[in-house]
Amino acid sequence: MNSMVVLPLVLPLFGAFLLPIIMRASVGVGLWVGPAILLYGCWILGNQWISGTAMPFSLAIGGFAPPMGINLYVDSLALLFALAVQLLGLIFWPFKLDPETARRQALMLLLVAASTGLALSGDLFNLYVFYELVAVATFGLISASSTGSAYAATIRYLILSGIGSVLTLLGIALIYSQTGTLNLAHLAQLAPEQLNNKLGLTAFLSILIGVGVKAELFPVNTWVPEVYATAASRVSAFLAGLVSKLALLIILRLLVLIFHQQEAIQVMLFLGILGVVSGELAAWRAKDMRRMLAFSSIGQLGMIFIALSIPDQAGLLAVLALSFHHLLVKSGLFMLADGWGGAIENLRGAAKRSPLAAIVFILFSLSLIGMPPLPGFWAKFTLITELAAQTSPLYLIGLAVFLLATVIEAAYLFRLAALLYRPVSEEKPIDTIPKPAGVSLVSASLFGVGLLAAALFITPVGELLNHVAGQAANAELYIDTVLAGTGGGR
Amino acid sequence: MRNLTGLLFAGGLGFMLLSIASGLDFGAPPMLVGEAIQSVAPQETGATNIVTSVVLGYRGIDTLGELSILFAAAAAAGLVLGRRHTTAGTLTEGGFVLRYGGAMLFPLLMTIGFYIIFHGHLTPGGGFQGGVILAAAFFLPLLARPGARLHHGMLSMIEGFAGSSFILIGLVALAEGEAFLQPMLIQDTLGQLVSAGTLPLLYLAVGLKVGAELAGLLSHLAQTESEA
Repeated sequence: MNSMVVLPLVLPLFGAFLLPIIMRASVGVGLWVGPAILLYGCWILGNQWISGTAMPFSLAIGGFAPPMGINLYVDSLALLFALAVQLLGLIFWPFKLDPETARRQALMLLLVAASTGLALSGDLFNLYVFYELVAVATFGLISASSTGSAYAATIRYLILSGIGSVLTLLGIALIYSQTGTLNLAHLAQLAPEQLNNKLGLTAFLSILIGVGVKAELFPVNTWVPEVYATAASRVSAFLAGLVSKLALLIILRLLVLIFHQQEAIQVMLFLGILGVVSGELAAWRAKDMRRMLAFSSIGQLGMIFIALSIPDQAGLLAVLALSFHHLLVKSGLFMLADGWGGAIENLRGAAKRSPLAAIVFILFSLSLIGMPPLPGFWAKFTLITELAAQTSPLYLIGLAVFLLATVIEAAYLFRLAALLYRPVSEEKPIDTIPKPAGVSLVSASLFGVGLLAAALFITPVGELLNHVAGQAANAELYIDTVLAGTGGGR
Repeated sequence: MRNLTGLLFAGGLGFMLLSIASGLDFGAPPMLVGEAIQSVAPQETGATNIVTSVVLGYRGIDTLGELSILFAAAAAAGLVLGRRHTTAGTLTEGGFVLRYGGAMLFPLLMTIGFYIIFHGHLTPGGGFQGGVILAAAFFLPLLARPGARLHHGMLSMIEGFAGSSFILIGLVALAEGEAFLQPMLIQDTLGQLVSAGTLPLLYLAVGLKVGAELAGLLSHLAQTESEA
């Protein structure tokens, strides 16, 4: 049933509101509320995916047909992301038990609900509301580790995020002042006449910079290293793996549906290139595992922005491949960093202490660099062929930077891998070498297994992603689906 | 260097905004969706206050999002402030006028708050505005008597049940085969107190939630403040 798709968005909110009460009545019951809701969400979305013959479809909230009301737009891309949100929410569930458990779990549920909303919503302002909810929920989750440096990182993030929100809102207001509507499909209809001008370009750039705060876009990503180095690894993994991709999804939809100006694409390509350069170089110099991962994540997101500047089906395929690859790998690496956080030097000889963790780390590194049998190679290869096919010189610069970044990536990842296998110094007992905790190692291995499975079934996975990209790149399909009056209810 | 880049950014942003503003034609906004809603809202939702029909009907899920943002902010503040408690009586009590004035204002503020909530679908106002007044009603005595304490368990109970009933009303519509958050029970009594179907119920939930949340947050802040 199509109308059930709203439940994975609403039930986590419901659970979050009630969780403090349930927890006060019975902790034992309360602990199961969140995971149960997320499991149910996975089940609904999974069912929808399997029986997804009628996709894409639009679901009118409140029964008001768009553009008057708000609608959810469910195509395979949205569904895939929504499913990933619920799954990762489950994997990164903050199960730690202390007096603040109820609050932390409620915030996590809110984060999951808002992320699902970002994946599904088909209304520009509704996207903004969920974007804000993501921001506020993450402020809480980051500062939950209650250390001074976490508070400092949160403040920085709060300020940047506030600037981003204001810019996004400015962009949305400009769009509304020009067109008088906020529905994405309706906007897509009006855009060629009313937004194909300087004002439209300004609106897009404001939104790009504003949303770019979460997508780790080049000039507005200074919060990334501090936050990822101080927040709990599970929160960092969720933010780096998923929330950044959801912010990208907003920009992707805007590019496909509304903004087709050449200048908009060039600015994005330029910022992407700068992001790759700055992120990878900073990662190379980083002395701390989590910081290294954070900077490398900035670089990876820059690559995805480069891919996004080719907004046809082939470009979107590269975006999707890189996004989902980064999602798997970076989540797994952050889970490893759960025990391996802190200075890189301390990790000398860690392979002896925890051989499995070292092997998983090397697997992720190889895929991140793009070693042939692993999915990372395939993702990067898609982008390289696309870039090489473009004629504009800026794309070729992008290609050169991309290849250079791969070399730098290999340098710092292998440096760490070599360190892991370095013999332990005599005076240092082996027990003092850090080791990822059991649960984190299991989750990391889970991502590793997912990566290997993707490598084995690379052909069907590639076809699937190609199909998803084709659907997402089809603006007419979006407009027809939403405005042809498929709203639920009357 | 850092100041210079900041100045450059601010200057650039100002220039951009000015040039945008000069390009906008004021006074003639395209009211595409706005006009469409204005012409059908009273019939479709039964609320004479069109703002309410937009807030709770056409864009109901935005309101749910806003409620969640408020809840997230309160929960995050609670996480940061922790569970510290004030030592009662460290602050001087307010004077006679403040104490009894506060006590006398309490019922008046409650009345006005609920009035604004219950008439949200008829006149300007509604759950958010009324809820803030309710919060003020509970917070005022706290200012007059710093030793007094709000019952936090009770507040979070109200907050949770009010928020979840907003969603429950939406889910009931879903279970009835309608869309989520679809207004139901629309009577033919436009302009009367009992009209607009489920919208006043939604506004009551919003009002109680906002009131409980703000009161809890304010008292939390006040207590932590007095400790430092």
